[in-house]
Amino acid sequence: MTVKVEVIEGGIPHNKIMAAGLIISLVCIYLTWLNVLTGTPWFAFFGGLGAVAAIAWGSHTIKTLCSYGIGTGVPSAGMIALGSGVVAMLLATRYGVATPIVAVVVAAIIGAILGYLSNNVLAMHIPVMIKSLTELAIVGALTLLGFTAMMTGNFTFSALATGQVMFLGFALPSYVSSYLGGALIATVFMLAAIAIQHPFNACLGPNWKQDRMLMLSYEVGFLSMLAAAIMSLALISIGAALLSIIVALIGWWYTYNQYLVLSKRDAAAWLDAKPFPEEAEGP
Amino acid sequence: MENIVFGIGITALAGALATVAGAAENTESDIGSQGDPNSQVQLAPQMGYLHRIFNKAVAGEPPAYGLWIALGAGIAWAFMAMQINAILAIVLGCALATFIQGVYATTAYLGRTASLAKFGQPVFVDILKSMTTVTMAHAFVAIFTTVTMCHLINAALGHPFPLPLLGLVWGIALGAAGSATGNPFYGKERQYQTQNFGAGVPISASGNIVRYAEAGQRNSLDNGWFTAKLAGPASGVCFGLIVFLELWRTVIFEPVGAGWGAIIVGIILILIFMVIDRYIEVWARKTYGPYTKPEEVSS
Amino acid sequence: MSAVGAKPGGSAGIDPVASVVAIVLMIVMLAIMYMIGTPMAFMALIGIVIGGVLIGFGVMFVPVGGAPAAMGQAPGIATGVAMLAAGAGLAGLFGGAWAAQTTSNLLVIVITGAVGGGLMMAITCLFVNFIYVYGMGIPAASGKVKKDPITGDTQTEYKSQGTEGHGLPFVSYVGGVIGGLFGGAGGTLIYIMLLDVYEESLPAMMQAQSGQLLPIPAAQIMPIAVTLAGMFAIGLFLVNAVLAAYNITGTIEGPHDPKFKRWPRAVIASATASALVGLVAIMIVAL
Repeated sequence: MTVKVEVIEGGIPHNKIMAAGLIISLVCIYLTWLNVLTGTPWFAFFGGLGAVAAIAWGSHTIKTLCSYGIGTGVPSAGMIALGSGVVAMLLATRYGVATPIVAVVVAAIIGAILGYLSNNVLAMHIPVMIKSLTELAIVGALTLLGFTAMMTGNFTFSALATGQVMFLGFALPSYVSSYLGGALIATVFMLAAIAIQHPFNACLGPNWKQDRMLMLSYEVGFLSMLAAAIMSLALISIGAALLSIIVALIGWWYTYNQYLVLSKRDAAAWLDAKPFPEEAEGP
Repeated sequence: MENIVFGIGITALAGALATVAGAAENTESDIGSQGDPNSQVQLAPQMGYLHRIFNKAVAGEPPAYGLWIALGAGIAWAFMAMQINAILAIVLGCALATFIQGVYATTAYLGRTASLAKFGQPVFVDILKSMTTVTMAHAFVAIFTTVTMCHLINAALGHPFPLPLLGLVWGIALGAAGSATGNPFYGKERQYQTQNFGAGVPISASGNIVRYAEAGQRNSLDNGWFTAKLAGPASGVCFGLIVFLELWRTVIFEPVGAGWGAIIVGIILILIFMVIDRYIEVWARKTYGPYTKPEEVSS
Repeated sequence: MSAVGAKPGGSAGIDPVASVVAIVLMIVMLAIMYMIGTPMAFMALIGIVIGGVLIGFGVMFVPVGGAPAAMGQAPGIATGVAMLAAGAGLAGLFGGAWAAQTTSNLLVIVITGAVGGGLMMAITCLFVNFIYVYGMGIPAASGKVKKDPITGDTQTEYKSQGTEGHGLPFVSYVGGVIGGLFGGAGGTLIYIMLLDVYEESLPAMMQAQSGQLLPIPAAQIMPIAVTLAGMFAIGLFLVNAVLAAYNITGTIEGPHDPKFKRWPRAVIASATASALVGLVAIMIVAL
């Protein structure tokens, strides 16, 4: 790679972001359990907010990991996060209300072992490798769990596997029209994989700024939440899905505008229909 | 018999759609400048060569296209599950996927360019506005044709994978095929047009991409119309062949020999392509000749 | 300031302690599966480990040139390692999953997947050479060997000045096809093993989860089983491909490249990683 990667200077320390991301994500995902307690689907959008928090945390983890020059591209970190997170998340959905905690624990174990394999067997010898891959696996599992909870209203396995099909005006339970039966998890998988690695990949460069990257991670999180909310129209009630769409739209619009403001602040120049300056030609 | 004829018809249609998808995918990634050639667009300002090329750093083409196609397929599936007409569902799904692709493109350009502020590379708002819409247009063609192809494979040919999973699989395959074929042509032939033809770019010239067009300064649309002439159709034929031959050998030869028929046909096809490749390689060595005298001169 | 910390492993050697730990971990996971699962689940986990090893080993064959290849500075395909291998392997998985619908002969299904992956790589590598030769006027040349091991063609004088080689010499082409064959076989093997386990155990597990009185017919569960098996096959494929990419650290010319000697590390890491992820995937129904 011919791109120079720089070390973090100043800003919020990574461990603070990790703690905040983990706690906010877990709290938001648990708030979707209110759906079960109240028997309504209105709290589904909290799952999306939990996923946004996890994405923000994950983007900062990738930044920490890639500062050490891993030799391959940034997108692979997103792929391995999701590849390890998806199994942990689906195993955890068996455990009812304990699902998010089980997902975090199982993902941590998988991530730690993968980190050990990368660092020691594959001789990458990067100081933060094991910790970063552990964090990435947890981020992958939580992001998937958040979007799944938003799209199905719940995070238990039976909610994922059963949907409805309209037959002569009656709603019959159906497996083929469910979240798993229709393989919507594949779309959410890719949404999360690209969303986690995009903020660092897009803000890569000598003038990397933490607040700009974090704002981009919120933007990309809300954009993914918007896509998932549109897909949830098929799985939960129209009202709850519209609520998710509106929350996602508002969140996305605000963060996108903020990102434009921050980019304008950081750019060398903000030109419209002008040529590039000629005198800056180099050797 | 009718079953096989119907299957062949769908296979041919899927192959044609895949060809269009491959061509559009390559043109889109060249106008946006995505993937490995984009490292030069990123490097140029650091070596002092400012430019007006779009810097779309959204992962590489395989994962990015895996996302757009899976997204188009997923939203289409959701609309189909709500009993919306299949074609309308696919169009709506692909339109939304294209919108998301456009947003990703803008944030990538702004992020990368703002992070190059140290070298004086400006953010060109007119480039942002004009290039993004063009890449979105090509992306829509690629996404729509691929999602339609996946829908045909699932609904008409009876593949067990649901639509979003097929979208993920073929999206990554589309990105891999288009990127492998189109990247060298864009990277060497167009970005480094001023270097010697018929030779690779020497390492000493890294970063010195062409920044001036026939008139004025070059932007990504100039790159796009060039690569759309050869790399685009080549990527299209590559992906079209992949899809068509994979479907064709399964639809016709799967019933033969309890599955072994398709395998044998596949192996024969691999050998045929190997022979063609060897022919091309030998032709190049004979026709172009070596750069230096073989082995007598120390190189 | 440039990247800090230790440089990634350019070392070709195997760390014996880490490798032994990894192998022990894999045996522990196999033992756990043996104790808590059905014999079929145990066989499935062994199949998944073999599939993962096929993927990890196969990725080492694929010629990847990365960013320099996009400028004609290095031989290989101008895409990232993990995703190019994923593209070929997933095309193979597509074919294998289709074959699984019509036959239950494991050998036929896996070889169909292999041929699917190999065919995709054969066509893609052909078009890479096509563009180099007819579009750019550049013959193929390797930078790592003086003579092509398969055809005996001399390479050095066909390398343009200032580059490390370009295009796909025949040994790289064959390497790419072999990589596609192994990747497609591995991905399909993982898919079919998981599919069998889910077909067998998912109805009972879902009945327990949802608290229904009537048993759920297996035919209705098929879409869920297919999705789960397909999703995990893809996820496991990506994990193995990324681990192999870490092993290669960026670019490799093919089986003749000195970096190819690192393959034992890839095999051990893939085996353990596949055992781990496979164990968790099977535990969804086996616990």
